[in-house]
Amino acid sequence: MIAFSILAVMLLATAIWTISAKKPVYSVVALLAHFAALAATYLMLHAEFLAVIQLIVYSGAILILFLFVIALLSSGVAPFSVGPNKMPKLAVPAVVLALVALGALSYGVAHLAAPTVTATPGAAPLGPVGAADVFGSVADFGKALFTTYLLPFEITALVLMVAVIGVILLAGDRTPYVATEKQAREVRREMREAIVRGGDR
Amino acid sequence: MHYQMGNSGSYPLLLLLWLLPLAGAIVIWAFGPQLKRLAGALGSAVVGASFVATLLSWHDGTQSVAGAGANLVGAHQALVSWLPGFDFGLLLDPLSLLWVCIITGVGFLIHVYSIGYMYDDKAFARFFAFLNFFVFAMLTLVLSDNFVGLLVGWGLVGLASYFLIGFWFEKPSAVAAARKAFVINVAGDVGIMFAIFMIVASVHSIAFGDVFGNVGSLSTPWLLAICICLFIGAAAKSAQVPLHTWLPDAMEGPTPVSALIHAATMVTAGVYLVARCAPLWSQNADAQLLVGIIGGITALAGAILGCAQWDIKRILAYSTMSQIGYMIMGVGVGAYEGGVAHFFTHAFFKAQLFLGSGLIIHALANEQDVRRMGGLMKKLPFAFVAMLVGVLAICGIPGFSGSFSKDAVIYGTLQHGHPILYAIGILTAGLTAYYMFRLLFVTFFGSYRGDVDPSDLGIRHPELAGTAHAAHDDHHGEHHAPAWLMNVPVGILIVPSIFAGWLLFGGEHSPWAQFFAQQFPHPTLPTPAISELTTTLIVLACVAVGIGVAYARYATAAAQADAVERLRGESVRMPALLTNAFYFDAALDLLFVRTSQLFGTIFGRLIDPQIIDGAVRETAFSAQWLGTLVRSFQTGLVRAYAFVLVIGVACFLVYYAVISGGLH
Amino acid sequence: MLPMSVPLIDYVALSSVIFFIGVAGVLVRRNPLIVLMSIELMFNAANLLFMAFARAWGNNAGHIFAFLVITVAAAEAAIGLAIVVTVFRTARHVDVDDVSLMKG
Repeated sequence: MIAFSILAVMLLATAIWTISAKKPVYSVVALLAHFAALAATYLMLHAEFLAVIQLIVYSGAILILFLFVIALLSSGVAPFSVGPNKMPKLAVPAVVLALVALGALSYGVAHLAAPTVTATPGAAPLGPVGAADVFGSVADFGKALFTTYLLPFEITALVLMVAVIGVILLAGDRTPYVATEKQAREVRREMREAIVRGGDR
Repeated sequence: MHYQMGNSGSYPLLLLLWLLPLAGAIVIWAFGPQLKRLAGALGSAVVGASFVATLLSWHDGTQSVAGAGANLVGAHQALVSWLPGFDFGLLLDPLSLLWVCIITGVGFLIHVYSIGYMYDDKAFARFFAFLNFFVFAMLTLVLSDNFVGLLVGWGLVGLASYFLIGFWFEKPSAVAAARKAFVINVAGDVGIMFAIFMIVASVHSIAFGDVFGNVGSLSTPWLLAICICLFIGAAAKSAQVPLHTWLPDAMEGPTPVSALIHAATMVTAGVYLVARCAPLWSQNADAQLLVGIIGGITALAGAILGCAQWDIKRILAYSTMSQIGYMIMGVGVGAYEGGVAHFFTHAFFKAQLFLGSGLIIHALANEQDVRRMGGLMKKLPFAFVAMLVGVLAICGIPGFSGSFSKDAVIYGTLQHGHPILYAIGILTAGLTAYYMFRLLFVTFFGSYRGDVDPSDLGIRHPELAGTAHAAHDDHHGEHHAPAWLMNVPVGILIVPSIFAGWLLFGGEHSPWAQFFAQQFPHPTLPTPAISELTTTLIVLACVAVGIGVAYARYATAAAQADAVERLRGESVRMPALLTNAFYFDAALDLLFVRTSQLFGTIFGRLIDPQIIDGAVRETAFSAQWLGTLVRSFQTGLVRAYAFVLVIGVACFLVYYAVISGGLH
Repeated sequence: MLPMSVPLIDYVALSSVIFFIGVAGVLVRRNPLIVLMSIELMFNAANLLFMAFARAWGNNAGHIFAFLVITVAAAEAAIGLAIVVTVFRTARHVDVDDVSLMKG
């Protein structure tokens, strides 16, 4: 209980820091702390494999990607030269709305009659974290993933592949699609103007 | 119950006499420029051939064969068959035969006359095309064996009348008169249409035979409603009060048109309708009374207004209205033979009068105001003789045709128990004598006043008095038509104008009564207190008084001496009530035209632009408004989309909280 | 399953609060990178809930689901960052409010 309270305070504090930091790099740092606390919380819930995944994938891959993009964009001049705030009065209603939704959700969950859910037939029993063949262990998780949930897992592969192709299409070099560099510059200039025009409208 | 009318069979002559005028109209209309003057000869020949075919069909039309359950009279030619009860065919029985004879016979004479009268008109061929078309339409009306065919003919004669009243369409007054005639006639057509609706609803057939055979199955109010609707049509076509106002204006058309359409044939279609529907009227005393009263009022009103007119054609127009009032009164009260006989004789002597007045108008370069005539007896002796015969006939001088038929109508009203209509008939006879002799005296007696200043004669608007038209005036000096073309038809008409009435001589055994023996119902009537001879004597006394007054006012030596002064005085002192024709025009204008205009204004200014157009505009505006509204959501701002999305999520969550949180 | 030392409802409340902190971040911030990070916060709040329920009911389907969410989150982050880079390449700066070509 004490551990949960400490972790909860950490999670909330880092979450608020993430969304309120002036510079994105501070947000990344806060988010890193948030993810670490979250991994600890997962351990408390006997999800040891997911705790590790959380650290490796989120902290190790996704956040690094963020940092990489920040570094890329910061190499230019005033990458985040923010224009006029077009919805300056959104903050208060957004927060109020979030609170209303939160209240409704909490109220609903608090009064929810717990459904009768039985344990997964093949699931391992609860045991000390780190032991083999207990609930949340690699063996337990892997068995479920490659037997019962094989099809969703394979579809995940497809999703990732589509994402990779999308990224290449979006961020890849455009020159193969135009005949000359001059033409490519022209296209880029037109797109830029279109975006600027659209933004000013 | 099916009820046969006429002996069914194949009657090629009947088809021929019906379709010849149509063929003539089409050919003349199509080849008018090529035919030139031949158009008149062709048009006349077609109608003449039609008349010959009519005479040859005489036996078919009068044949009487004992059929199943009834004596079948006349000839029936089936033409087109749709549904049982909704067939179209031609029916030639004594009643339609009489009308066809007049239409083609008098029509032929008027066609010939028109060749001379319209000789210099630039639209010579068009005139004959319309005239032939009119004859075809009128034949359709009287030959149809069902109500719908009758209505088709009814509408077509109205159209022909519209064309011919507005024949000189350069004249605004002619166009206005044509429009007025057409509108009032269409109002009547609508009446007949509603009658047909009611007939079909109750009898499920439009054939005369079926309707008349099942008249007993109709309830009394229903029958009365049918009769009233039919009579609205008859009243509009036959210029009965209060739908008569178009007839005097219709005199804007050429004089032969006035003679053929607006005196001899078309305006008597109402008489034909009532006589044709005698089986309906005979079953409903209220309908008979209504028709009789309207006819009586029209006879009297026409006669009174005839006394106040100065235009020779308008005098004749009011006299026509008055005489048709007699006919309608006759057929209305049930004296069908008398009413139809008056149509028969009237067709001759009124055509005679119109054609005679046409001779005068033609000779005087389109002068129509009798005040500017006078002393024409020596100048136009033939016209005088023609007019004299016509006047004597219309006044009912014994021996002339009008006396027989008019007495038959007047006595018929008494026979059928309508003493007030009887009195009106006698009074009207006296008035008729007065205004017709006034016309005769002012026109032919005394000295010529054409060179007197119009204002001295009390003519307020000389430019409006005559109906001189440029097309005719231009050619007046170079007149080529041989005089006989106009004189011969008038001369021929003198014969039936005098002798046609003799067919009625002999009461129940007369040729006339024999001819219609099987046509009309013959109820046994009580013998009235006043005998037929006495009636004739009373009428004659009234006529004598009328002639005497007219003589004293216009024909004595003293009156002739200061005719100018007297005419001016009469013109000036004429009561406004009479010069304005009892304000019928104003009343109709107020009742219908103004109210229609008011409605039109309301609809045009308010309902259409505000409500109808407004609804359309509002639809467009609301679509535009909705588009603007929806467009405003499409801000292009990702955060705005996200905000709306979160609102949706919040709504879901609140709903979820409500249903799961025990608040239900 | 053995009872949890911390009540399930506490996890639900914590997860909800983090989720709506993420929501607020998406709505309020205009830096696309921070918006993307806020979305990651929301993903993780959901994951936390999966873990808690899996633990409470002894059903490891929650773990599988969380795993899939992480995969999708990774794909989403990659695509989102690629878009940010593309926008930056053409406009030389990035601002959520400036990307409004879809304005009606």
